[in-house]
Amino acid sequence: MPAKRFFLLTILFAAACKPPTPAEQMDTVVSWVSTARMAGDAWLRHTTPDKYTSQTLQLSDQMLLQTGSELLKSPPPTIDSAAFDRALTSTRFNISEMSRFVKAKDASQFRQPWDSVLIYMKIMKDFSDKVESSK
Amino acid sequence: MKKILQLALGIITSVGGFLEVGSVTTAAQSGALFGYQLLWAILLGTLCLIFLVEMSGRLAAVSKHTVVDAMRERFGFPFFFIVLVGIVLVAFMVLVAELGGIGFGIQILTGVGFPWWAVPVSLLVWLLMWKGTFSLIENGASLLGLVTLSFLVSALKLHPDWSGVTSALLPSMPGSDKAKYGFLAVSILGASISPYLMYFYSSGAIEDEWDSSYIPINRFIAGFGMIFGGVLSMAVLVVAALALQPKGIQVDTFPQAALMMTTALPRWGFYLFAFSMIFACFGAALEVSLAIAYFFSQGFGWRWSEDLEPSKNSRFAFVYTVIVLLAAIPLVFGIDPIKVTMMSMALTSFTLPLAIVPFLLLMNDPIYLGKYRNGWISNSVVSIVVVISFVLALISIPLEIMGG
Repeated sequence: MPAKRFFLLTILFAAACKPPTPAEQMDTVVSWVSTARMAGDAWLRHTTPDKYTSQTLQLSDQMLLQTGSELLKSPPPTIDSAAFDRALTSTRFNISEMSRFVKAKDASQFRQPWDSVLIYMKIMKDFSDKVESSK
Repeated sequence: MKKILQLALGIITSVGGFLEVGSVTTAAQSGALFGYQLLWAILLGTLCLIFLVEMSGRLAAVSKHTVVDAMRERFGFPFFFIVLVGIVLVAFMVLVAELGGIGFGIQILTGVGFPWWAVPVSLLVWLLMWKGTFSLIENGASLLGLVTLSFLVSALKLHPDWSGVTSALLPSMPGSDKAKYGFLAVSILGASISPYLMYFYSSGAIEDEWDSSYIPINRFIAGFGMIFGGVLSMAVLVVAALALQPKGIQVDTFPQAALMMTTALPRWGFYLFAFSMIFACFGAALEVSLAIAYFFSQGFGWRWSEDLEPSKNSRFAFVYTVIVLLAAIPLVFGIDPIKVTMMSMALTSFTLPLAIVPFLLLMNDPIYLGKYRNGWISNSVVSIVVVISFVLALISIPLEIMGG
Protein backbone atom coordinates (compact mmCIF):
# COMPACT_ATOMS: atom_id res chain seq x y z
CA MET A 1 0.00 0.00 0.00
CA PRO A 2 2.73 2.53 0.84
CA ALA A 3 4.51 1.63 -2.42
CA LYS A 4 1.30 2.25 -4.37
CA ARG A 5 0.83 5.60 -2.66
CA PHE A 6 4.42 6.54 -3.39
CA PHE A 7 3.93 5.59 -7.04
CA LEU A 8 0.77 7.71 -7.30
CA LEU A 9 2.46 10.66 -5.60
CA THR A 10 5.43 10.36 -7.98
CA ILE A 11 3.10 10.43 -10.98
CA LEU A 12 1.24 13.43 -9.58
CA PHE A 13 4.49 15.26 -8.89
CA ALA A 14 5.85 14.46 -12.37
CA ALA A 15 2.62 15.73 -13.92
CA ALA A 16 2.87 18.92 -11.90
CA CYS A 17 6.52 19.48 -12.89
CA LYS A 18 5.65 20.24 -16.47
CA PRO A 19 7.92 22.55 -18.46
CA PRO A 20 6.52 25.92 -19.61
CA THR A 21 4.04 25.61 -22.48
CA PRO A 22 4.81 27.22 -25.89
CA ALA A 23 2.19 29.88 -25.08
CA GLU A 24 3.99 30.73 -21.81
CA GLN A 25 7.32 30.81 -23.64
CA MET A 26 5.89 33.17 -26.27
CA ASP A 27 4.54 35.41 -23.47
CA THR A 28 8.06 35.51 -22.03
CA VAL A 29 9.51 36.48 -25.41
CA VAL A 30 6.97 39.31 -25.80
CA SER A 31 7.66 40.40 -22.22
CA TRP A 32 11.41 40.75 -22.79
CA VAL A 33 11.07 42.55 -26.14
CA SER A 34 8.65 44.99 -24.47
CA THR A 35 11.02 45.39 -21.54
CA ALA A 36 13.83 46.38 -23.92
CA ARG A 37 11.56 48.86 -25.68
CA MET A 38 10.33 50.41 -22.40
CA ALA A 39 13.85 50.60 -20.95
CA GLY A 40 14.94 52.34 -24.15
CA ASP A 41 12.04 54.77 -23.93
CA ALA A 42 12.95 55.69 -20.35
CA TRP A 43 16.62 56.15 -21.31
CA LEU A 44 15.72 58.46 -24.20
CA ARG A 45 13.81 60.62 -21.70
CA HIS A 46 16.96 60.73 -19.51
CA THR A 47 15.09 59.18 -16.59
CA THR A 48 17.21 56.04 -16.04
CA PRO A 49 20.97 55.63 -15.55
CA ASP A 50 23.10 54.34 -18.47
CA LYS A 51 24.32 51.31 -16.55
CA TYR A 52 20.84 50.16 -15.59
CA THR A 53 19.66 50.56 -19.20
CA SER A 54 22.56 48.70 -20.78
CA GLN A 55 22.33 45.90 -18.17
CA THR A 56 18.58 45.55 -18.71
CA LEU A 57 19.08 45.44 -22.49
CA GLN A 58 21.76 42.76 -22.10
CA LEU A 59 19.47 40.79 -19.80
CA SER A 60 16.66 41.05 -22.38
CA ASP A 61 19.02 39.74 -25.06
CA GLN A 62 20.08 36.79 -22.86
CA MET A 63 16.51 35.91 -21.93
CA LEU A 64 15.41 36.09 -25.57
CA LEU A 65 18.25 33.79 -26.57
CA GLN A 66 17.42 31.31 -23.80
CA THR A 67 13.63 31.29 -24.23
CA GLY A 68 13.77 31.44 -28.03
CA SER A 69 16.18 28.48 -28.21
CA GLU A 70 13.94 26.41 -25.94
CA LEU A 71 10.90 27.31 -28.02
CA LEU A 72 12.63 26.42 -31.28
CA LYS A 73 13.55 22.94 -29.99
CA SER A 74 9.90 21.94 -30.40
CA PRO A 75 8.15 24.84 -32.14
CA PRO A 76 4.36 24.95 -32.02
CA PRO A 77 2.82 23.92 -35.38
CA THR A 78 0.82 27.16 -35.68
CA ILE A 79 3.88 29.32 -36.28
CA ASP A 80 6.44 29.36 -39.08
CA SER A 81 9.53 28.46 -37.06
CA ALA A 82 11.98 29.81 -39.68
CA ALA A 83 10.17 33.16 -39.69
CA PHE A 84 10.15 33.20 -35.88
CA ASP A 85 13.87 32.41 -35.80
CA ARG A 86 14.61 35.28 -38.23
CA ALA A 87 12.48 37.71 -36.21
CA LEU A 88 14.17 36.62 -33.00
CA THR A 89 17.66 37.06 -34.46
CA SER A 90 16.79 40.54 -35.76
CA THR A 91 15.21 41.55 -32.46
CA ARG A 92 18.29 40.44 -30.54
CA PHE A 93 20.54 42.28 -33.00
CA ASN A 94 18.59 45.52 -32.51
CA ILE A 95 18.62 45.16 -28.74
CA SER A 96 22.40 44.62 -28.83
CA GLU A 97 22.72 47.75 -30.95
CA MET A 98 20.64 49.70 -28.44
CA SER A 99 22.93 48.50 -25.66
CA ARG A 100 25.99 49.56 -27.68
CA PHE A 101 24.62 53.07 -28.28
CA VAL A 102 23.68 53.46 -24.60
CA LYS A 103 27.28 52.72 -23.66
CA ALA A 104 28.40 55.26 -26.30
CA LYS A 105 25.76 57.72 -24.96
CA ASP A 106 24.59 58.23 -28.56
CA ALA A 107 20.86 58.96 -28.43
CA SER A 108 20.52 59.83 -32.11
CA GLN A 109 21.96 56.47 -33.28
CA PHE A 110 19.98 54.69 -30.56
CA ARG A 111 16.62 55.69 -32.07
CA GLN A 112 16.94 53.54 -35.17
CA PRO A 113 17.25 50.11 -33.44
CA TRP A 114 14.78 51.32 -30.80
CA ASP A 115 12.19 52.00 -33.55
CA SER A 116 12.93 48.60 -35.09
CA VAL A 117 12.31 46.88 -31.76
CA LEU A 118 8.79 48.34 -31.79
CA ILE A 119 8.15 46.63 -35.13
CA TYR A 120 9.50 43.31 -33.83
CA MET A 121 7.45 43.70 -30.68
CA LYS A 122 4.32 43.68 -32.87
CA ILE A 123 5.62 40.71 -34.89
CA MET A 124 6.29 38.73 -31.72
CA LYS A 125 2.85 39.65 -30.41
CA ASP A 126 1.35 38.22 -33.62
CA PHE A 127 3.31 34.97 -33.11
CA SER A 128 2.11 34.89 -29.52
CA ASP A 129 -1.53 35.41 -30.56
CA LYS A 130 -1.25 32.55 -33.06
CA VAL A 131 0.12 30.20 -30.39
CA GLU A 132 -2.53 31.37 -27.91
CA SER A 133 -5.37 30.82 -30.37
CA SER A 134 -4.25 27.25 -31.02
CA LYS A 135 -4.51 26.31 -27.33
CA MET B 1 -1.23 64.44 24.22
CA LYS B 2 1.56 61.88 24.44
CA LYS B 3 -0.85 59.12 23.45
CA ILE B 4 -2.21 61.11 20.49
CA LEU B 5 1.34 61.58 19.26
CA GLN B 6 2.02 57.86 19.73
CA LEU B 7 -1.16 57.09 17.80
CA ALA B 8 -0.17 59.33 14.88
CA LEU B 9 3.36 57.97 14.88
CA GLY B 10 2.08 54.40 15.11
CA ILE B 11 -0.16 54.86 12.08
CA ILE B 12 2.60 56.58 10.09
CA THR B 13 5.10 53.86 10.92
CA SER B 14 2.59 51.14 10.03
CA VAL B 15 2.10 52.78 6.63
CA GLY B 16 5.82 53.37 6.07
CA GLY B 17 6.67 49.86 7.24
CA PHE B 18 3.94 47.95 5.41
CA LEU B 19 5.53 47.35 2.04
CA GLU B 20 8.47 44.98 1.79
CA VAL B 21 9.99 42.80 -0.89
CA GLY B 22 7.23 40.18 -0.67
CA SER B 23 4.30 42.56 -0.97
CA VAL B 24 5.92 44.58 -3.78
CA THR B 25 6.96 41.50 -5.78
CA THR B 26 3.68 39.61 -5.45
CA ALA B 27 1.54 42.69 -6.16
CA ALA B 28 3.67 43.72 -9.16
CA GLN B 29 3.63 40.21 -10.65
CA SER B 30 -0.13 39.95 -10.12
CA GLY B 31 -0.87 43.34 -11.69
CA ALA B 32 1.40 42.65 -14.66
CA LEU B 33 -0.23 39.27 -15.36
CA PHE B 34 -3.86 39.61 -14.29
CA GLY B 35 -4.56 43.34 -14.14
CA TYR B 36 -6.73 44.30 -11.16
CA GLN B 37 -8.10 40.78 -10.76
CA LEU B 38 -6.12 39.81 -7.64
CA LEU B 39 -6.93 42.92 -5.59
CA TRP B 40 -9.28 40.78 -3.48
CA ALA B 41 -6.31 38.74 -2.19
CA ILE B 42 -4.63 41.91 -0.87
CA LEU B 43 -7.92 42.99 0.74
CA LEU B 44 -8.36 39.60 2.43
CA GLY B 45 -4.73 39.46 3.57
CA THR B 46 -4.92 42.99 4.99
CA LEU B 47 -8.17 42.21 6.84
CA CYS B 48 -6.57 39.14 8.43
CA LEU B 49 -3.46 41.11 9.33
CA ILE B 50 -5.50 43.85 11.06
CA PHE B 51 -7.04 41.29 13.42
CA LEU B 52 -3.78 39.43 14.07
CA VAL B 53 -1.81 42.61 14.81
CA GLU B 54 -4.57 44.00 17.04
CA MET B 55 -4.67 40.73 18.99
CA SER B 56 -0.92 40.54 19.49
CA GLY B 57 -0.89 44.15 20.78
CA ARG B 58 -3.84 43.45 23.08
CA LEU B 59 -2.20 40.31 24.47
CA ALA B 60 0.95 42.28 25.30
CA ALA B 61 -0.90 45.28 26.77
CA VAL B 62 -3.17 43.20 29.03
CA SER B 63 -1.06 40.20 30.02
CA LYS B 64 2.40 41.83 29.77
CA HIS B 65 3.41 38.76 27.79
CA THR B 66 4.66 38.70 24.24
CA VAL B 67 3.07 36.11 21.94
CA VAL B 68 6.19 33.93 22.27
CA ASP B 69 6.32 34.19 26.08
CA ALA B 70 2.69 33.22 26.41
CA MET B 71 2.98 30.40 23.88
CA ARG B 72 5.91 28.78 25.64
CA GLU B 73 4.29 29.20 29.06
CA ARG B 74 0.87 27.90 27.97
CA PHE B 75 1.88 25.02 25.66
CA GLY B 76 5.25 24.00 27.06
CA PHE B 77 8.73 23.99 25.59
CA PRO B 78 8.50 20.90 23.30
CA PHE B 79 5.55 22.36 21.37
CA PHE B 80 7.15 25.78 21.35
CA PHE B 81 10.32 24.27 19.86
CA ILE B 82 8.40 22.89 16.86
CA VAL B 83 6.89 26.33 16.24
CA LEU B 84 10.32 27.92 16.63
CA VAL B 85 11.89 25.71 13.97
CA GLY B 86 9.10 26.34 11.45
CA ILE B 87 8.82 30.07 12.01
CA VAL B 88 12.55 30.77 12.15
CA LEU B 89 13.28 28.84 8.95
CA VAL B 90 10.70 30.84 7.01
CA ALA B 91 11.67 34.13 8.67
CA PHE B 92 15.28 33.46 7.70
CA MET B 93 14.26 33.05 4.05
CA VAL B 94 12.26 36.28 4.28
CA LEU B 95 15.37 38.00 5.68
CA VAL B 96 17.46 36.75 2.73
CA ALA B 97 14.80 38.12 0.37
CA GLU B 98 14.72 41.52 2.15
CA LEU B 99 18.51 41.88 2.04
CA GLY B 100 18.36 40.89 -1.63
CA GLY B 101 15.70 43.55 -2.22
CA ILE B 102 17.99 46.22 -0.73
CA GLY B 103 20.87 44.93 -2.87
CA PHE B 104 18.75 45.08 -6.02
CA GLY B 105 17.62 48.62 -5.22
CA ILE B 106 21.26 49.65 -4.99
CA GLN B 107 22.17 47.61 -8.08
CA ILE B 108 19.73 49.41 -10.35
CA LEU B 109 21.05 52.75 -9.10
CA THR B 110 24.75 51.95 -9.36
CA GLY B 111 25.02 49.11 -11.87
CA VAL B 112 27.07 47.09 -9.37
CA GLY B 113 25.58 43.58 -8.96
CA PHE B 114 23.54 42.82 -5.83
CA PRO B 115 25.89 40.04 -4.57
CA TRP B 116 28.51 42.73 -3.94
CA TRP B 117 26.09 44.59 -1.67
CA ALA B 118 25.06 41.60 0.44
CA VAL B 119 27.81 41.90 3.06
CA PRO B 120 27.86 45.73 3.37
CA VAL B 121 24.07 45.83 3.63
CA SER B 122 24.03 43.07 6.27
CA LEU B 123 26.67 44.90 8.25
CA LEU B 124 24.65 48.12 8.09
CA VAL B 125 21.51 46.32 9.30
CA TRP B 126 23.53 44.71 12.08
CA LEU B 127 25.17 48.02 13.06
CA LEU B 128 21.81 49.74 13.40
CA MET B 129 20.56 46.97 15.67
CA TRP B 130 23.79 46.98 17.67
CA LYS B 131 23.87 50.75 18.20
CA GLY B 132 20.23 51.77 17.80
CA THR B 133 17.25 51.75 20.12
CA PHE B 134 13.88 50.16 19.46
CA SER B 135 12.18 53.48 18.71
CA LEU B 136 14.95 54.53 16.33
CA ILE B 137 14.56 51.29 14.41
CA GLU B 138 10.76 51.29 14.49
CA ASN B 139 10.23 54.94 13.68
CA GLY B 140 13.34 55.82 11.68
CA ALA B 141 13.12 52.97 9.18
CA SER B 142 9.37 53.32 8.82
CA LEU B 143 9.54 57.10 8.26
CA LEU B 144 12.04 56.51 5.45
CA GLY B 145 9.63 53.89 4.15
CA LEU B 146 7.07 56.64 3.52
CA VAL B 147 8.78 57.04 0.13
CA THR B 148 6.58 54.07 -0.85
CA LEU B 149 3.66 56.52 -0.93
CA SER B 150 4.98 57.24 -4.43
CA PHE B 151 3.20 54.04 -5.55
CA LEU B 152 -0.10 55.61 -4.49
CA VAL B 153 0.72 58.86 -6.33
CA SER B 154 1.63 56.83 -9.43
CA ALA B 155 -1.59 54.83 -9.25
CA LEU B 156 -3.69 58.00 -9.00
CA LYS B 157 -1.78 59.66 -11.84
CA LEU B 158 -2.51 56.69 -14.11
CA HIS B 159 -6.29 57.27 -13.63
CA PRO B 160 -7.42 53.71 -12.90
CA ASP B 161 -10.88 52.55 -13.89
CA TRP B 162 -12.51 52.72 -10.46
CA SER B 163 -15.38 50.41 -11.32
CA GLY B 164 -12.82 47.78 -12.39
CA VAL B 165 -10.88 48.32 -9.17
CA THR B 166 -13.93 47.94 -6.93
CA SER B 167 -15.26 44.89 -8.77
CA ALA B 168 -11.84 43.22 -8.38
CA LEU B 169 -12.26 43.38 -4.61
CA LEU B 170 -14.48 40.32 -4.94
CA PRO B 171 -12.79 37.06 -5.97
CA SER B 172 -13.21 35.89 -9.56
CA MET B 173 -11.54 33.23 -11.70
CA PRO B 174 -9.40 34.09 -14.73
CA GLY B 175 -10.13 32.77 -18.22
CA SER B 176 -6.73 31.06 -18.44
CA ASP B 177 -3.57 30.45 -16.36
CA LYS B 178 -5.61 29.30 -13.35
CA ALA B 179 -2.61 27.61 -11.71
CA LYS B 180 -0.50 30.77 -11.89
CA TYR B 181 -3.45 32.84 -10.65
CA GLY B 182 -3.89 30.51 -7.67
CA PHE B 183 -0.21 30.56 -6.83
CA LEU B 184 -0.11 34.36 -6.94
CA ALA B 185 -3.18 34.55 -4.68
CA VAL B 186 -1.42 32.22 -2.24
CA SER B 187 1.76 34.30 -2.39
CA ILE B 188 -0.11 37.57 -1.80
CA LEU B 189 -1.80 36.10 1.28
CA GLY B 190 1.52 34.70 2.49
CA ALA B 191 3.16 38.10 1.98
CA SER B 192 0.39 39.90 3.90
CA ILE B 193 -0.10 37.55 6.85
CA SER B 194 3.52 37.18 7.97
CA PRO B 195 3.72 35.65 11.48
CA TYR B 196 6.95 37.51 12.24
CA LEU B 197 4.91 40.73 12.35
CA MET B 198 2.88 39.46 15.32
CA TYR B 199 6.04 38.61 17.25
CA PHE B 200 7.68 41.92 16.40
CA TYR B 201 4.56 43.93 17.25
CA SER B 202 3.91 42.26 20.62
CA SER B 203 7.59 42.58 21.57
CA GLY B 204 7.44 46.26 20.60
CA ALA B 205 4.40 46.76 22.83
CA ILE B 206 6.36 45.31 25.77
CA GLU B 207 9.43 47.44 24.86
CA ASP B 208 7.16 50.52 24.86
CA GLU B 209 5.62 49.42 28.20
CA TRP B 210 2.02 49.27 27.03
CA ASP B 211 -0.75 48.59 29.54
CA SER B 212 -4.49 48.11 29.13
CA SER B 213 -4.99 51.88 28.64
CA TYR B 214 -3.30 51.38 25.25
CA ILE B 215 -6.02 49.06 23.94
CA PRO B 216 -7.90 51.79 22.00
CA ILE B 217 -4.60 53.11 20.56
CA ASN B 218 -3.61 49.58 19.60
CA ARG B 219 -6.93 49.15 17.83
CA PHE B 220 -6.51 52.39 15.86
CA ILE B 221 -2.90 51.67 14.92
CA ALA B 222 -3.70 48.12 13.80
CA GLY B 223 -6.82 49.25 11.95
CA PHE B 224 -5.83 52.46 10.22
CA GLY B 225 -2.14 51.65 9.84
CA MET B 226 -2.79 48.31 8.17
CA ILE B 227 -5.65 49.67 6.01
CA PHE B 228 -3.42 52.45 4.65
CA GLY B 229 -0.61 49.92 4.21
CA GLY B 230 -2.96 47.60 2.32
CA VAL B 231 -3.94 50.51 0.08
CA LEU B 232 -0.25 50.99 -0.76
CA SER B 233 0.03 47.32 -1.67
CA MET B 234 -3.03 47.68 -3.89
CA ALA B 235 -1.43 50.74 -5.48
CA VAL B 236 1.60 48.64 -6.50
CA LEU B 237 -0.74 46.16 -8.17
CA VAL B 238 -2.71 48.93 -9.92
CA VAL B 239 0.46 50.60 -11.22
CA ALA B 240 1.74 47.28 -12.60
CA ALA B 241 -1.67 46.61 -14.15
CA LEU B 242 -1.73 49.97 -15.91
CA ALA B 243 1.93 50.44 -16.80
CA LEU B 244 3.19 46.91 -17.50
CA GLN B 245 0.25 44.66 -18.39
CA PRO B 246 -0.79 46.54 -21.59
CA LYS B 247 2.78 46.16 -22.87
CA GLY B 248 2.85 42.45 -22.02
CA ILE B 249 5.72 42.91 -19.53
CA GLN B 250 5.82 40.26 -16.81
CA VAL B 251 7.73 40.90 -13.62
CA ASP B 252 10.23 38.03 -13.65
CA THR B 253 13.12 40.20 -12.45
CA PHE B 254 13.60 43.41 -10.47
CA PRO B 255 14.94 45.41 -13.46
CA GLN B 256 11.52 44.88 -15.12
CA ALA B 257 9.69 46.00 -11.98
CA ALA B 258 11.88 49.11 -11.84
CA LEU B 259 10.16 50.45 -14.97
CA MET B 260 6.66 50.41 -13.50
CA MET B 261 6.62 54.00 -12.20
CA THR B 262 8.38 55.57 -15.21
CA THR B 263 5.06 56.03 -17.04
CA ALA B 264 3.22 57.88 -14.25
CA LEU B 265 6.21 59.78 -12.87
CA PRO B 266 8.53 60.09 -15.89
CA ARG B 267 11.17 62.18 -14.18
CA TRP B 268 11.45 60.52 -10.77
CA GLY B 269 9.62 57.21 -11.10
CA PHE B 270 12.71 55.06 -11.57
CA TYR B 271 14.55 56.57 -8.61
CA LEU B 272 11.46 56.49 -6.39
CA PHE B 273 11.10 52.78 -7.14
CA ALA B 274 14.74 52.14 -6.27
CA PHE B 275 14.55 54.09 -3.01
CA SER B 276 11.20 52.48 -2.15
CA MET B 277 12.80 49.06 -2.47
CA ILE B 278 15.86 50.07 -0.46
CA PHE B 279 14.00 51.71 2.44
CA ALA B 280 11.05 49.31 2.57
CA CYS B 281 13.32 46.25 2.52
CA PHE B 282 15.73 47.86 4.99
CA GLY B 283 12.93 48.41 7.51
CA ALA B 284 11.63 44.88 6.97
CA ALA B 285 15.14 43.37 7.31
CA LEU B 286 15.49 45.08 10.70
CA GLU B 287 12.05 43.87 11.81
CA VAL B 288 12.63 40.26 10.71
CA SER B 289 16.10 40.09 12.30
CA LEU B 290 14.77 41.46 15.58
CA ALA B 291 11.70 39.20 15.42
CA ILE B 292 13.99 36.16 15.15
CA ALA B 293 16.14 37.40 18.06
CA TYR B 294 12.99 38.06 20.14
CA PHE B 295 11.71 34.59 19.29
CA PHE B 296 14.84 32.84 20.51
CA SER B 297 15.33 35.03 23.57
CA GLN B 298 11.73 34.92 24.76
CA GLY B 299 11.47 31.21 24.01
CA PHE B 300 14.62 30.27 25.91
CA GLY B 301 13.98 32.73 28.73
CA TRP B 302 16.97 34.97 28.04
CA ARG B 303 17.08 38.67 28.78
CA TRP B 304 15.95 40.65 25.75
CA SER B 305 15.44 44.28 24.80
CA GLU B 306 16.59 46.29 21.84
CA ASP B 307 16.93 49.24 24.23
CA LEU B 308 19.57 47.48 26.37
CA GLU B 309 23.29 47.61 25.63
CA PRO B 310 24.37 44.44 23.73
CA SER B 311 26.67 43.58 26.65
CA LYS B 312 23.63 43.43 28.93
CA ASN B 313 21.70 40.99 26.75
CA SER B 314 24.50 39.31 24.90
CA ARG B 315 22.55 36.21 23.79
CA PHE B 316 19.84 38.39 22.20
CA ALA B 317 22.52 40.39 20.35
CA PHE B 318 24.33 37.17 19.39
CA VAL B 319 21.21 35.78 17.68
CA TYR B 320 20.62 38.82 15.45
CA THR B 321 24.33 39.07 14.68
CA VAL B 322 24.54 35.45 13.51
CA ILE B 323 21.23 35.54 11.64
CA VAL B 324 22.03 38.72 9.68
CA LEU B 325 25.48 37.52 8.69
CA LEU B 326 24.22 34.06 7.70
CA ALA B 327 21.50 35.65 5.55
CA ALA B 328 24.15 37.42 3.48
CA ILE B 329 25.80 34.14 2.41
CA PRO B 330 23.24 32.90 -0.18
CA LEU B 331 23.16 36.39 -1.69
CA VAL B 332 26.93 36.51 -2.04
CA PHE B 333 26.62 33.35 -4.14
CA GLY B 334 24.07 35.07 -6.38
CA ILE B 335 20.82 33.35 -5.32
CA ASP B 336 17.89 35.07 -7.06
CA PRO B 337 16.02 37.18 -4.44
CA ILE B 338 12.78 37.05 -6.45
CA LYS B 339 12.80 33.24 -6.35
CA VAL B 340 13.61 33.29 -2.62
CA THR B 341 10.79 35.78 -2.10
CA MET B 342 8.19 33.70 -3.91
CA MET B 343 9.33 30.50 -2.17
CA SER B 344 9.28 32.13 1.27
CA MET B 345 5.79 33.55 0.69
CA ALA B 346 4.50 30.08 -0.24
CA LEU B 347 6.24 28.49 2.76
CA THR B 348 4.77 31.16 5.02
CA SER B 349 1.39 29.59 4.32
CA PHE B 350 2.71 26.31 5.78
CA THR B 351 3.74 27.97 9.00
CA LEU B 352 0.51 29.94 9.46
CA PRO B 353 -1.49 27.11 11.08
CA LEU B 354 1.44 26.39 13.37
CA ALA B 355 1.53 30.00 14.48
CA ILE B 356 -2.15 30.88 14.45
CA VAL B 357 -3.93 27.90 16.09
CA PRO B 358 -2.05 28.23 19.41
CA PHE B 359 -2.38 32.01 19.17
CA LEU B 360 -6.16 31.71 18.85
CA LEU B 361 -6.28 29.46 21.94
CA LEU B 362 -4.21 32.01 23.85
CA MET B 363 -6.47 34.86 22.82
CA ASN B 364 -9.43 33.03 24.39
CA ASP B 365 -7.68 32.17 27.63
CA PRO B 366 -9.11 34.18 30.56
CA ILE B 367 -5.90 33.61 32.55
CA TYR B 368 -4.02 35.81 30.07
CA LEU B 369 -6.67 38.22 28.87
CA GLY B 370 -9.49 38.26 31.43
CA LYS B 371 -12.33 40.39 30.14
CA TYR B 372 -10.23 41.44 27.13
CA ARG B 373 -10.25 38.01 25.51
CA ASN B 374 -11.48 37.58 21.94
CA GLY B 375 -15.08 38.18 21.01
CA TRP B 376 -16.91 36.25 18.29
CA ILE B 377 -15.85 38.61 15.50
CA SER B 378 -12.14 38.22 16.22
CA ASN B 379 -12.53 34.46 16.68
CA SER B 380 -14.45 34.11 13.43
CA VAL B 381 -11.93 36.11 11.44
CA VAL B 382 -8.97 34.24 12.91
CA SER B 383 -10.74 30.91 12.33
CA ILE B 384 -11.20 31.89 8.70
CA VAL B 385 -7.49 32.73 8.58
CA VAL B 386 -6.70 29.27 9.94
CA VAL B 387 -8.91 27.59 7.34
CA ILE B 388 -7.43 29.70 4.56
CA SER B 389 -3.92 28.98 5.74
CA PHE B 390 -4.64 25.22 5.78
CA VAL B 391 -5.92 25.43 2.22
CA LEU B 392 -2.93 27.56 1.28
CA ALA B 393 -0.59 25.00 2.80
CA LEU B 394 -2.21 22.20 0.84
CA ILE B 395 -2.21 23.90 -2.54
CA SER B 396 0.77 26.24 -2.54
CA ILE B 397 3.60 23.84 -3.39
CA PRO B 398 1.96 22.02 -6.35
CA LEU B 399 0.67 25.38 -7.56
CA GLU B 400 4.14 26.83 -7.37
CA ILE B 401 5.53 23.96 -9.44
CA MET B 402 2.72 24.20 -12.00
CA GLY B 403 2.80 27.99 -12.04
CA GLY B 404 6.55 27.97 -12.62
